[in-house]
Amino acid sequence: MTTLRPFTCDDLFKFNNINLDPLTETYGIPFYLQYLAHWPEYFIVAEAPGGELMGYIMGKAEGSVAREEWHGHVTALSVAPEFRRLGLAAKLMEMLEEISERKGGYFVDLFVRVSNQVAVNMYKRLGYSVYRTVIEYYSASNGEPDEDAYDMRKALSRDTEKKSIVPLPHPVRPEDIE
Amino acid sequence: MAIQQADKLLKKHKDLHCAKVLKAIGLQRTGKQDEAFTLAQEVATLEPTDDNSLQALTILYREMHRPELVTKLYEAAVKKVPLSEEYHSHLFMAYARVGEYKKMQQPPKYCYYYSVKKNLFVLQAISAQDEKLSQTMFLPLAERMVEKMVKEEKIEAEAEVQLYYMILERLGKCVEALDVIRGPLGEKLTSELQSRETKCMSLYRRLQRWPECNSLAHKLLLKNPDDWQFYPSYFDSLFHLIDQSWSPPEEGDCSEGSVHHTVAEVASFVEERILGEDGKDSRSLRGPYLARLELMHRLRERGCPEEKLLGDPLELMVQFFGKFGDKPCCITDLKIYLHLLCPEQHVQFVNRLGEAVPLGEQGDEGFAFPEDTKALQRHLCVCQLSRALGLHHALHPDGKLRLIAELKAHYRHGLKFGSDALKTELQFSDMYCLMAAHVYIDLWKETGDENMVWQSLGVLQEGLTASPSNAQFKLLMLLVYCHLGAFEPVVDLYSSLDAKHVQHDTIGFLLTRYAGSLGQFAAASQSCNFSLRFFHSNQKDTSEYIIQAYKYGAFEKIPEFIALRNRLNQSLHFAQVRTERMLLDLFLEADIVLSLEESVKAMSLCPEEDDIPWDTMRDNRDLTVFTCWDPKDRQLTEEHRRRSLEEESVWLRLRSLTLRLLASLASPGHTPPQTPAQQNSEKANENGVADEPPILGVLLSQLHRTLQTAAQMAEKRTQYPLLGPPATRLASALSSGSCQCQAAALQLSVHLQDLESAGLDESSELQTQICNGFQSLVVQLREILNKCKGDLLEMKGSKLKTRPSLLENLIFFVEVRNLSLLWTASHCAKILRPLKTSLQKKKKKKKDVNTPAVVCGFQELTGSLQDLLTQALEYIKGQETGITALQLAGLSLEGNTQDEESFAKAAMDKVQSSYLRSLQEAGDLLKKRAETIKNLKI
Repeated sequence: MTTLRPFTCDDLFKFNNINLDPLTETYGIPFYLQYLAHWPEYFIVAEAPGGELMGYIMGKAEGSVAREEWHGHVTALSVAPEFRRLGLAAKLMEMLEEISERKGGYFVDLFVRVSNQVAVNMYKRLGYSVYRTVIEYYSASNGEPDEDAYDMRKALSRDTEKKSIVPLPHPVRPEDIE
Repeated sequence: MAIQQADKLLKKHKDLHCAKVLKAIGLQRTGKQDEAFTLAQEVATLEPTDDNSLQALTILYREMHRPELVTKLYEAAVKKVPLSEEYHSHLFMAYARVGEYKKMQQPPKYCYYYSVKKNLFVLQAISAQDEKLSQTMFLPLAERMVEKMVKEEKIEAEAEVQLYYMILERLGKCVEALDVIRGPLGEKLTSELQSRETKCMSLYRRLQRWPECNSLAHKLLLKNPDDWQFYPSYFDSLFHLIDQSWSPPEEGDCSEGSVHHTVAEVASFVEERILGEDGKDSRSLRGPYLARLELMHRLRERGCPEEKLLGDPLELMVQFFGKFGDKPCCITDLKIYLHLLCPEQHVQFVNRLGEAVPLGEQGDEGFAFPEDTKALQRHLCVCQLSRALGLHHALHPDGKLRLIAELKAHYRHGLKFGSDALKTELQFSDMYCLMAAHVYIDLWKETGDENMVWQSLGVLQEGLTASPSNAQFKLLMLLVYCHLGAFEPVVDLYSSLDAKHVQHDTIGFLLTRYAGSLGQFAAASQSCNFSLRFFHSNQKDTSEYIIQAYKYGAFEKIPEFIALRNRLNQSLHFAQVRTERMLLDLFLEADIVLSLEESVKAMSLCPEEDDIPWDTMRDNRDLTVFTCWDPKDRQLTEEHRRRSLEEESVWLRLRSLTLRLLASLASPGHTPPQTPAQQNSEKANENGVADEPPILGVLLSQLHRTLQTAAQMAEKRTQYPLLGPPATRLASALSSGSCQCQAAALQLSVHLQDLESAGLDESSELQTQICNGFQSLVVQLREILNKCKGDLLEMKGSKLKTRPSLLENLIFFVEVRNLSLLWTASHCAKILRPLKTSLQKKKKKKKDVNTPAVVCGFQELTGSLQDLLTQALEYIKGQETGITALQLAGLSLEGNTQDEESFAKAAMDKVQSSYLRSLQEAGDLLKKRAETIKNLKI
């Protein structure tokens, strides 16, 4: 029982139950507006019948078509604690993949904290695999060490040979990724 | 470097505009703003048309935060080069940046470029705030333009179809819009999922084409029975069809297909969806089951007997619980349908659900626990539903204590399922802990037993040790500490929530409501600053993305971004932090670091100017941020929200008027002639009268009117739910007498001005009046101080009792005393001093003149203020000694384990420490002002 609809600016005032989560970043307004202006179809929110926001996904399409790197990217995906275990994150991912398919992307990718086992396992269940490790991708603010990220990918139908997801042998540094 | 290079160039080419501007940029970046501006204006007045100069000036103006100058620049450029598409485009963007939609309404006279014209009309059409102009001019123009493109088959991109749809929709041409969406052009709408379908649906609804609406809804639900957005359309259309006694046409279906126009058809459609879910191997979806409850709710609202067709609501909800009781959202789903049960069924319902929860053997304490997380979730859901049905509130205090014991036992038992949880994860049983805290708070409010609130803080603190990132624990602790008058622990709790950006607007009120009123002025300034920084960046940020949305063809987002910008600019919280920040600066710093006049000037505070959008104020607070399972009659209602906003507005008006009145005292009109020797006193008086701005009187009468409204409002004594909006300081400000005292002080200014024009010789009646005013001021201040008397924190027997209202009153005393001091310092003394000086001159001539009454009265006033200060400082000292001496370690909380006791005592320590800090800040502030009094001698 969920309404899936485009994320709107007014939702910024209602997403505290989702964003007051330690692993969900609240970005500055420009960051959200950039996504809404450029890739509005990639920013989807799920709403419960009582009007509570359940979760959202924010993404974009990027990369060079010529180099077969045109792909969908998941920038943020978060579900409020009380709406977990409903398969909502999977549903939102499915939508993002569908949109990326329509745009002719080769794959979908995302970054996730190495420590966030719950998320890593979920993405694995959804067909994603670790393409590479990005060293110290997440900078810590409170004196703790920076954290590595997995760059996880899932090939779309356009990548018939699944070339895009062949894992890199070595980890990379954040400055080496585009 | 850059400046030198530019200078070199300028030596060779004296009139190279671009070099001048580059030099100006250099100057600007090295902090020489004034020089930079002068140089830039030299070039700008020449109205340059070369691209380099224009670009460089644009950069410079942006760095100077003067985007309006860019518009002037390009306005001049397009006049000179009317055929430049590029300059038109720049001008257009510049208008968009400063939000000059009105200006964009002037089509360029000389521009024949199609795309630019299109740009202009379209942006005007979708962003114009003047609805009439938009409807009569821009939209029709834009429509014609796009129609032409359609005819020429030039529409290719999805964005253009989107735009066409928007234009038609805004013009109210729904039939045409529907044709576009359903026709071949509509096929281009592919990016957004279901875009065509949702647009069709909204048009059918607007056109009241209920058969089509109904048919499309059930078609879409057939495809995805969990898609909630189409159920309301499905049910609404059914009832419209029934009301219209609609019957299917003789031949064929409506354009969307078959129509369900009877309750029986719709009910059986929903039942079929449920059967479909029941029969599935994969996860069942909640949609159809909830749709049945929703249909039942709507049928009952209409008084339809067919409600019975769907079955007994109790059975349906038991069935729902059976299927989805192990999901954390089960409570959220069912809570909106609990009203379908009659009150007599409540206990039966909860018992039925309880039977369906698998629990293990009963232990020593008499509680049986779940053996896995699914059973835990079910058990928790039953507790949540009991609370939502009011069963917790109906318990006697003993029953509540037993309930708490059970909740705590379940909480601790449940921790074993999350023993390996990361510190960023929540514990499965966290919500038991939160609920135990809620019941403790119920008991505190019901019985006044303060031990209950300590234990509520204790249990939450315990919860945080196992689940350090649980935001709900932190939020509730934060709120309870504020209610106890302790702000110090709130700072850390709030910062650990990591609230940022827009969250300052939505939950920043939790900080700003309490910090200042509880005497933690440094924290108050900081909280205001966090919020202000966010709001100030909004204006610039949003403009940029309006242009981006346009560039990328996200036309639907343009009005949305404009609305966002307005929503933030018109935010209640924004107006509050603006006002409070300036008041704080004046209370804390004025006449210490800078004079009141200088402070007011530094803030660019103008008494004539009211920058608060009273009529369009937006309440952006997130008042549902606290998790709450309270029964309906205790929940936040729309009426609460309305009243809270009303109350906040009145309080804000009082604060803003106080601020502007202070500013008006410091405005130039009040400055008496610098050197009275140069001018005789008569002339000074004339000037005084002539320069007197009427603003003081205007503001004072506004203040009195607002105080009347405030008094009426306070009489209503609106009680908000504890987890809803906090009450403002209004009621306590009135009952402490601080509002009245401030108003009286400011009112005296008028009499003093009269005195200024009348002089000292012929004004004995006026002087008596003023002296009475002085005396009454002292009496009022003393009364406020008396209302602080008593112990903030005391031990009664084995219990620790707080009296936060005493602290609030003390802060009112500090505020109003500082205000009246500021007022006296800057105003009375300055009016009286020259009067006295001129008197002394006369005295030299005639030796037998007595000291005028008003001067004596003033001296008495400063003396009394000094006495009050001493008294206040003594009171604070006494409180500090008393609070420090309290032996909290000796307290015992009956019936609690050692751990529980230590958590609760940690909370007590925090409150104790916070009180001491508030007292210290208040004391320091009073002492800082001691100097001001000494300087008041005339």
